[in-house]
Amino acid sequence: MRSSPLAVLATALLAAAPTTSRAQVKIGVVNSMTGQAAPIGENLTNGIKLAEEDLKAKGIQVQLVWEDDTGKPQVGLSAMDKLATRDRVVGVVGAYTSAVTNAIAKKAEEYKVPLVNPVAAKEEITRQGHKYVFRVSATTADYVSILLDMATTLGKPRSIAILAENTDFGTSGRSSAKAQAEKKGIQVVFEESYSPGTPDYRSTLVKVKEKKPDLVFMVSYVADAITLMRQSRELQLVPMAFLGAGAGFSTAQFASERNISHAVFSSTQWTPDVSWTGAKAFGERYQKRFGKEPTYHAANAYIAMMIMGETAAKAGGDREKLAAGLRAGSWDGLFGPVKFQDYGGYQNQNRHQMLVEQVQDGKYFTVWPAALQTARPIWPFPGWK
Amino acid sequence: MARPRRPRGLSVLPVAAGVAAVVLLALLPRLVDSPYALHLMVTFFLAVIMGSAWNLIGGYGGQYSVGHAAYFGIGAYTVLILLNTGGLAPWWGLGPALLLAMVVAAVVGSITFRLRGPYFVLASIAVAEIMRLAALNWKDLTNGAEGILLSSVPPLEIAGRVVTRFDSKVPYYYTGLGLAVLVVLVTVWFQGSKVGYYLQAIREDQDAANSLGIPLTLYKNVALVLSAFFTACAGALYGLYVGFIDPQTAVGLDVSVQIVLTAIIGGIGTILGPVVGAALLVALSEGLRSNVLTDLLVAVGIVNPDSAVGGFLRDNLSHAHMLIYGVLVALTILFMPDGVLGGVKNQLRRRRARASAGGAA
Amino acid sequence: MTVFLQSLLSGILVGGAYALIGVGLTIIFGVMRIINFAHGDLVMLGMYAAYFLFTLGHVDPFVSVVFVFPLLFLFGALLQKTVINRVLDALPQNQILLTIGIGLIISNTMMLLFTSDYRIISTSYSSGSFRVGEISVSTPLLLSFVITAAVTAVLYWFLMKTDTGQAIRATAQDRDAAQLMGVNVKRMSVLATGIGAGLAAVAGALISPTYYIFPQVGQPFTLKAFVIVVLGGMGSVLGATVGGVLIGATESLAGAYVSSGLKDLVVYVLFLLILLFKPAGLFGKSRA
Repeated sequence: MRSSPLAVLATALLAAAPTTSRAQVKIGVVNSMTGQAAPIGENLTNGIKLAEEDLKAKGIQVQLVWEDDTGKPQVGLSAMDKLATRDRVVGVVGAYTSAVTNAIAKKAEEYKVPLVNPVAAKEEITRQGHKYVFRVSATTADYVSILLDMATTLGKPRSIAILAENTDFGTSGRSSAKAQAEKKGIQVVFEESYSPGTPDYRSTLVKVKEKKPDLVFMVSYVADAITLMRQSRELQLVPMAFLGAGAGFSTAQFASERNISHAVFSSTQWTPDVSWTGAKAFGERYQKRFGKEPTYHAANAYIAMMIMGETAAKAGGDREKLAAGLRAGSWDGLFGPVKFQDYGGYQNQNRHQMLVEQVQDGKYFTVWPAALQTARPIWPFPGWK
Repeated sequence: MARPRRPRGLSVLPVAAGVAAVVLLALLPRLVDSPYALHLMVTFFLAVIMGSAWNLIGGYGGQYSVGHAAYFGIGAYTVLILLNTGGLAPWWGLGPALLLAMVVAAVVGSITFRLRGPYFVLASIAVAEIMRLAALNWKDLTNGAEGILLSSVPPLEIAGRVVTRFDSKVPYYYTGLGLAVLVVLVTVWFQGSKVGYYLQAIREDQDAANSLGIPLTLYKNVALVLSAFFTACAGALYGLYVGFIDPQTAVGLDVSVQIVLTAIIGGIGTILGPVVGAALLVALSEGLRSNVLTDLLVAVGIVNPDSAVGGFLRDNLSHAHMLIYGVLVALTILFMPDGVLGGVKNQLRRRRARASAGGAA
Repeated sequence: MTVFLQSLLSGILVGGAYALIGVGLTIIFGVMRIINFAHGDLVMLGMYAAYFLFTLGHVDPFVSVVFVFPLLFLFGALLQKTVINRVLDALPQNQILLTIGIGLIISNTMMLLFTSDYRIISTSYSSGSFRVGEISVSTPLLLSFVITAAVTAVLYWFLMKTDTGQAIRATAQDRDAAQLMGVNVKRMSVLATGIGAGLAAVAGALISPTYYIFPQVGQPFTLKAFVIVVLGGMGSVLGATVGGVLIGATESLAGAYVSSGLKDLVVYVLFLLILLFKPAGLFGKSRA
């Protein structure tokens, strides 16, 4: 064990660290660019790239330092240490997964580097008294409550089957759904977690079918959502409504599978057709630029970066001023009104208006809340095409 | 008269160099005030502990476990669960954690050591996967997929005096360094011990060792239990340091593979192999991931950041880090089958042989 | 009863594809004694091949098998000739590591080339089914099972009736003896890797209309293939065929009667029990 090559490397790098030029605002980005979460991480990357362009157009010279967390908390920590101490960024936008966000939020607090989280949904991230952690994203419970509110307004569901993937978002969605359903007097007749990425869910779905639930509530990533719905069709599972908690149920890919996606509801944080200023334009621009429709992840990431960039520019690169600016400010744009507030045990949490979208003939329409709807909801589920 | 023989690998020069390196490392936090550098060092120590621990059973014993995540996970989960739910300080929680890891290792060992070669490899994977699935599904204990978020580590007090409050990286740095030095010292002892010799005999020829009357399963078990002990230490340190564990990051197959890679890339069955492997892999993966390599090329002046090449590297090198990682693993195996340390040693030996041949001519 | 029959049926049908993956792995292992950790990535390559043939060439995924097999056969053979061949006599841990490295290279190259987007093949029959009494039978699953059976039949014919096939089997049984008997062992290794890769890819192509595709999709299939191969007996083609179907059915029934989250656990426990009590597998000869 002679002198560690790592120590040599580390000191060399410290010496080589480029110094910040005055006119620039240096902002870190932590995102899952490789690894299991990469497919969704890419939407965040794209949203942030558009925000970067818009900030530059506004004369704000942002310099982004991109860090890949590979979906692992310890790698996120590494990224955060680097951003805070070597790159000396003024603030950080990230991360995608709740696990990584939880880990880096602690670091942000330690270094007093403001962190604006775009899309991680786990409740506890903003419930730990962190002063430098701001969240644009709604929480897991919000994904559930908007759907159940809608379901109990449109119909009189008596029973619900809950099927969630065995991941962070899935399990917290499952327990939220159970608690909220029971509160509303809906009987939970089936409840199970499955491991994502299985080619065959038929044995689980046939059990669901036997219970004849009014509502089928699912939490799944993109591809599993399609597999689950395909196999539900195969088995002729016909409840009053299929409810999906965002993620896999609100992607263009899912919608384009017309014969399985028709009349499926999904809670989402954002839709391209919502009446918030600039949402439509953003959707079109994104489509043109990246050749696909934006998901809410992209819009969340865009708005998080815009807020971070503008506030950081005003703060002149000072972390404390930036944090104060984030706490005091309020914004309105393609993501609806944004304000970081303390309420119900949360700190610096944006109280976001959730939406419910429904696929109608291969296209998403915003159907709930009524004030923001672009189409009337199809209720109940009309049966398979 | 027989001359007193030093144990292998313990001549004066390496010992002096080792002591110097440890002293230097012990002083590092005073010299370098960069949390990023300290973080990388903690990651490095963790890799050294895990790689060296695996080396005891994998390197010396030839039992290629690809399931060490099981022990890593037991260490991390036990300490964090006891701390979060029972309020038990980690240095006390480490006791049950290590005990549990050793018991599980003994049980797993006595069952799976009858299997040989690829069968043992697959069995070790299965055991770790069963542990992962247990952690995923036993929600009341482990909080399932949501993982465990560490609340806070209580300050360490000895005789009423606060030694550390665990509020910076420094205590983790020294814990990591201490464990890393310990595991290397244990390896030195192990290599010269009876258990070590028997194990190496087993590795070279299992049947011959058996016919010599060496109890195969017993010695394999001793090595596995020792290996599990240190792997669990690493797991506990990881859990406390990162502050968050979930089944995938603490018991996933990736963890097992990473441990094996560290040891094999460095060179197995040697004292310093895993240390070299850890240094290489930690530096490499961080360098690639964080674009430090591109920055370095720019800073040195090889690449112009505004040129097409610079832009390409900046956009793609960080995306490609797992790819480059894979390529390097493959190249190491193909061209340095004894690991980097072994490869370098072979090169030196060859050069020396050539030099002495030249001298003789 | 409906639950039981439905689960059993879909388990068996899915098991067909598992069997192909397992057979590919077992042939590679049999001939070279190398556990291929990149096997799932070969399945993934087969899926991508089917995807691009479908979207760009409008070739039905089930028909695409005809192209996918030769394509991946060549890839596998090339991989063996250039890389794997060099470690045939190396330590087993180095062989394992090399295949892990190859797997990383394959999946990450695909990610760089085609991004990590999920890709879906939507055919007219992707969610089609027909009913037999109370049970619904998935059309694509049934089709893929039939093709699997056909491919397996051809493979058996090849291994049993042709000279090359017999040489492969001889090599798998005893490499050194085969060499002494004048079998070109090197060529057999190339062939075996080619066939193994081809079969894995065919399985990928067959699953693709009912599943989804992304660069990291392979890993679970690698682990599943290990289980199948050990269950059937390492190196045994018949064993892997039966093993695949058994694992498919076990998973499905465990999903119905234990819990869908725990079905993998059931499979691994079964795997360990087999390893411990019948390490030669159901159809393997003991090599102790």
